Amino acid sequence: MTAFKRQSFAGLPAGSGGAVPALLLVGLFFIVPVVALLLRSVTDPEPGLQNYAALFGSGTYVRVFLNTFLVAAVVTAVTILVAFPVAWMLAIMPPAIGSIVFGIIILSMWTNLLTRTYAWMVLLQRTGVINRALMGLGIIHEPLPLINNLAGVTIGMVYIMLPFMILPLVGTLRAIDPMTLRAAALCGAGPFQAFRRILLPLSLPGIAAGGLMVFVMSLGYFVTPALLGGTSNMMLAEMIAQTVQSLLNWGLGSAAAFVLLVVTMALYAIQLRLVGAGRPGGGL
Amino acid sequence: MTQPFLSIRAVRKTFGAFVAVHDVTIDVPKGEFLTFLGPSGSGKSTTLYAIAGFQDPSSGDVLLEEKSLLSVPSHKRNIGMVFQRYTLFPHLSVAENVAFPLRVRRRPDAEVKRKVADMLALVRLENFADRYPGALSGGQQQRVALARALAYDPPILLMDEPLSALDKKLRQEIQAEIRRIHRETGVTILYVTHDQEEALHLSDRIALFKEGRIEQIGTGEDLYLRPASEFVAGFIGNSNFLPAEHLETAASAATVRLADGSILTGLKATRPFDKGQKVRLMVRPEALSLTPGPASVALAVDIVDTAFFGDRRRVVARTAGGDEIDVRPTSDAAEPADPSASGQRIFFDPASAFLFPA
Repeated sequence: MTAFKRQSFAGLPAGSGGAVPALLLVGLFFIVPVVALLLRSVTDPEPGLQNYAALFGSGTYVRVFLNTFLVAAVVTAVTILVAFPVAWMLAIMPPAIGSIVFGIIILSMWTNLLTRTYAWMVLLQRTGVINRALMGLGIIHEPLPLINNLAGVTIGMVYIMLPFMILPLVGTLRAIDPMTLRAAALCGAGPFQAFRRILLPLSLPGIAAGGLMVFVMSLGYFVTPALLGGTSNMMLAEMIAQTVQSLLNWGLGSAAAFVLLVVTMALYAIQLRLVGAGRPGGGL
Repeated sequence: MTQPFLSIRAVRKTFGAFVAVHDVTIDVPKGEFLTFLGPSGSGKSTTLYAIAGFQDPSSGDVLLEEKSLLSVPSHKRNIGMVFQRYTLFPHLSVAENVAFPLRVRRRPDAEVKRKVADMLALVRLENFADRYPGALSGGQQQRVALARALAYDPPILLMDEPLSALDKKLRQEIQAEIRRIHRETGVTILYVTHDQEEALHLSDRIALFKEGRIEQIGTGEDLYLRPASEFVAGFIGNSNFLPAEHLETAASAATVRLADGSILTGLKATRPFDKGQKVRLMVRPEALSLTPGPASVALAVDIVDTAFFGDRRRVVARTAGGDEIDVRPTSDAAEPADPSASGQRIFFDPASAFLFPA
């Protein structure tokens, strides 16, 4: 990522004419639409910042923003907690078994998103498999509210985000020499101390990379929150869709989308700074 | 005899049907520098790992001051270890690496600071305290690892081929450092290596491993001057081996017939041999000379090659039986007058030669 930063800010090296088609592609399909979006947000229905004023002035929209960040943060945190043990297992497992588990994880990424989300609806609803099983076992007497709320969104999204967290984390964990942990043990570090003082700091770059990716993807997620979430915790993408599709308010929708883009870019810049200017050895 | 400090009792380690270590028993007195020497796969590292707690032995016991270590997990054994690979914590500075074992023991800050300074002085890296491992050379990293392993005053220091990744000059330099540190701290050291020169240079005693067993244990002199087997003679130093037939042994002086029919007498037998038994005669290259000494016996040879090495000459001779012999006379010894002439002879004192079973 450092290399990417250097190249894009320090100007193009000589003889990079081969990059022209790629730059055209990015310009045409990414930069032009974003600029159009920005223009629309300050010109539709009339020139001015009234769309942004409406966005930040209304309690409803601010609540949607806050809820979006809350959901993204919860999803990221839970994803890290679930992904870490899986990634560690993958990192230390014999390669033959590891590649099978890896295959299962990748396979889940290839399955249609909508299908996977509907599957969760079947599992999580009041009369779904999970509630019926728990009630059948006598563990609960009332169905748990697992859907159309934060719990439902979190479960559904963590499941979808897991591979994006596991993959960078496995790479980081595999790069840690197991001998380092043996050395820590002989130095007197018990399992918890070795984890906290050695394994966790050494895996931070992977956690940061995966965490940021999950957080950013979660911020703009549409399908899963729309299907598994409730009306009280609407997320930004759903709001944009409604604003544009139902209310036909393109200006407001564009403004919301642009705010989301700026936040995402800011987060990416922060991560570049953290990872790029890390301590020596921090990239290991 | 008083109770040994560290006692390895009948330690055996099997991996499936493969026996990596066969009932190894060693007693180590406090303060000793003991080296496990042997080719790779001889069980020396496995034995060390049993002491470190990385691999539990299949049977046997490891006792430190009469208390078994086996039920104690690695992190509570209070043992220091330096590994073959660099195992410094890359996200911690040199000083933080050395402080690590003290921090996990929750020692007070002032003590940690003082101890880190002492340890860095011991390995002569005072000016590197704030560097990160990535900015150090291999030799410096191993010295930091040594400081880290000694920071909590462990009763035993284990070293698993710590110098094998370094080049020769650096290796010798750090060997001298290790000797000095052993002298200054008095710590008991168990050192694993496959390099016999390193073992001879460093150790009080050497345990030579072969196929999971200890072939011989003793001082470097014992192993070099009084090898118990052909393997020991071949592993420690350079050796020439000649096939021979045992004729008789009288008053511990053996007589043999070599492949060319010549008879040699007054040789040291390492065990009783039968008449007519096939044996191997071992003689060190530096025990051979081109001129006869007071008690020497002679071998008829052809000279194949001569070379000058400064402190020694090297002469390659060939017996009539076709066996090549390496001769290393000191360089002040006369060169053979005419190396190409036939009927050359080389000489050695039979007391410096050994007979092993073939």
